[in-house]
Amino acid sequence: MRQRGHGRTGARGAGAPGRRALRRAAAPALAAIALAAGPPRAGAQLALGIQGIGVVTRADAPGGAVVTEARLIEPVAYGSMAWLGGRLAVHAMLDGEGWTMRGGALAPGDWGEGYYDRRHPHTLVHEVIATATDLAALPGAVHWSLAAGKGFAPFGTDDPMNRPALLFPVDHHWSQILERAVAVLGVRRGPVVVEVGTFDGDEPERWDEWPKWSRFGDSWSARGLVRPGDGLELQASLARVKSPEDRAGAGPTSDKVNVSARLERPVGSGAFYALAEWASNSEGVWVFHAVLVESEYRRGRWRPYARVEVADRPEDQRVFGDPFRSPRPPADNSLLGVTRWRTILAGLGIGLPEAVHGLRAEAIGEVAWAGVASREGVFDPAAFYGRTQLWTVNLGLRLAAGAGMHRMGRYGVAGGPMPGMAGGAGMSGMRGE
Amino acid sequence: MGVSIGGPAALAAAALAAAAAACHEGSAGSAVAPPPDSVALVATVPVPPNYGQHDQIERAGLAFLCSWNTGLQIYDVGDGRAGGSPQHPVRISGVVTSGGEVHNAWWYWAPDGTRRYAFVGQEGPGSVGTSSSGDIHVVDLSNLSAPAEVASFHMNGAGTHNFWVDEANQVLYAAYYNGGVVALDVSGTLSGDLGTRLISAVQPGGAGDTYVWGVMLYNGSVYASDMVSGLWQLKLTGGALQVAGGGNNVPERYTSDLWVANGYAYTGTWGTRGANTGNVLKIWKLDSAGAPVLHDSIVTPGFTTVSDVRGSADGRMLVTSGEYGPKAGLYFYSLVPDPGHPVLLRYYPVVANAQNGIHNVSLADIGGRRYALAAQDPPTPAMLVVDVTAIDP
Repeated sequence: MRQRGHGRTGARGAGAPGRRALRRAAAPALAAIALAAGPPRAGAQLALGIQGIGVVTRADAPGGAVVTEARLIEPVAYGSMAWLGGRLAVHAMLDGEGWTMRGGALAPGDWGEGYYDRRHPHTLVHEVIATATDLAALPGAVHWSLAAGKGFAPFGTDDPMNRPALLFPVDHHWSQILERAVAVLGVRRGPVVVEVGTFDGDEPERWDEWPKWSRFGDSWSARGLVRPGDGLELQASLARVKSPEDRAGAGPTSDKVNVSARLERPVGSGAFYALAEWASNSEGVWVFHAVLVESEYRRGRWRPYARVEVADRPEDQRVFGDPFRSPRPPADNSLLGVTRWRTILAGLGIGLPEAVHGLRAEAIGEVAWAGVASREGVFDPAAFYGRTQLWTVNLGLRLAAGAGMHRMGRYGVAGGPMPGMAGGAGMSGMRGE
Repeated sequence: MGVSIGGPAALAAAALAAAAAACHEGSAGSAVAPPPDSVALVATVPVPPNYGQHDQIERAGLAFLCSWNTGLQIYDVGDGRAGGSPQHPVRISGVVTSGGEVHNAWWYWAPDGTRRYAFVGQEGPGSVGTSSSGDIHVVDLSNLSAPAEVASFHMNGAGTHNFWVDEANQVLYAAYYNGGVVALDVSGTLSGDLGTRLISAVQPGGAGDTYVWGVMLYNGSVYASDMVSGLWQLKLTGGALQVAGGGNNVPERYTSDLWVANGYAYTGTWGTRGANTGNVLKIWKLDSAGAPVLHDSIVTPGFTTVSDVRGSADGRMLVTSGEYGPKAGLYFYSLVPDPGHPVLLRYYPVVANAQNGIHNVSLADIGGRRYALAAQDPPTPAMLVVDVTAIDP
């Protein structure tokens, strides 16, 4: 995650509005953490943290409009608990975007879960995953893990919340599969990791929704990772996701491919990060593609970053009177068309030099340009937006306390060290911690 | 977020509002206040929310429900063999044709009375204006209790939509979106791949300007509503479908369904094209050669798509379905005394939220009464049976 944490354990959780609803919906996640925490005892390690980002966004919008609005994005409380030296672990994250960014956050190019040009809120229980690693030893220096819960399918690259920019990339729904009921088996030998997972294909329709349990197992994915050293990670994934956009299961199946190279290593007196990925999503007559390259250099208080992306986007009908929403559930398999988005984004984060009462802060500014063109169908970007080039400016202030965020979706043998842990095998670490 | 199918007061208020809102773009036409009687919902047949209900047809007291991945469902709505009635539809059987995605159907009676098939349209993924997918499936209905798929027709690079069958000449006309219009020979026994049954196919607007929604045979011409290029008149001459008239006549909106009766054609509009919303019913007068000439149009604010246009067998009533918006639902028009200027009889609201409404509707005369059979969209998909006898003009 982008915050500047120190990965310490034992930070406090956050208070939140709507406590009754929070308790009801988040009970399983909190219970998992509480069970894991128990009274902390020797061998158990706990990392808790919170963060939120206040953002003012000014962006070009449909109809030739320019919209300015403020939102609190990514208000999350998260925790990781490990014991038996990391062989048993639980990751959990609660996300309050359903309260703080109802109607979504202005984000030209973003789409999914019935939203267009607004990023949809994530579900309240974003992740709660239990992982067992090497509970029984295998010969030949082979390590294994089994993870289950609600979280990420083993597919593609990191969640955008774990990456530099505030504005999510257009390819988010091509390159990550999240908030599903998943079971993931991972095997690692040396620098090679192979994961296979099964899950429910349906993506959420609302922020307070759980996966449709009856669809568990109707979709699968597999991911291979190679980590030859020096912070390089090569990744290739396949997935078959049944009817992601129709919860009842009537929609087309997505056949997905993602390959990437990720580099994270010290350079000079700072830390360098880069990611390049290619994604493909095939749904019968449609094939969507995306190419993305992003980078960040973190040195002292300064964190400049940039992203270049070319990605296809499906265009649904919008609902009556709201150019930012499409009907959910959909009524058929038709699209208005497919658009191609070319985006260039540059940003800078400036952290406070010292934490104040345990609270870390980072000021963020970023600018994004997008050029949009029709690739097929009748959707006419010029008519819809009143322009074919859209600008977005985000000014944000990130506040965080406690541990840094773990690298979501990398469970068991696919993960790195737990925040605050040195070299733990079983829990994922946070980039830049 | 329950479905609101209002009581009498709500109906009256909604009808008044809709009547006040409806206005004619072309020559003068007038909406009238609804009669004091009621349009009554007499049955609701829930359909699994599996994209739910898309279309339905009624013939001889049997209703064929096109229920997407639930398949083709056959209900007794007055035939009596299963004790069904419009007020109490009784399911007889069903079949999920290959690939599901059951969108539309036609119950075909061979003229010699020897065979009865259902032609089923599969609506696969597609991008409006450029691509589509889905086949025609043929279901043998010689035993209504055990329908079975026996044949299919596939066109590379295109998918089917609505049908019309010239039963006397045993020709199936199928709208085929970017594939245009297809004419198939459906005589004799149908089995296996019907690729050899293709008589002719035509893209009325040409490649890149063709996306045909619906077809209808009338007075020897095949009328085709093309989403991008408007209303066309075609003829099957010498074994070839050829353009006879019309076309490129609705540039400002996307065209949807059509109905032809009384020397007029009626077409709906769809979605949003530029700044124009698909909330228009267009009325076309057919000239002496049968070519359509725009005659009038009715704009109804409050929804974005006229998703279906159907007429009654006697040519006196027209019904359209409104989809996506707070004024979604059914709109009933009188075609008498002037079919060139339909008069709104009643708006029947079906609005669960701003996202849905009615996807398709048809009119059926059963037991001396007239009913509208309507496909209600998700999230609460169902076939609605609405008794409209009281407003029959």
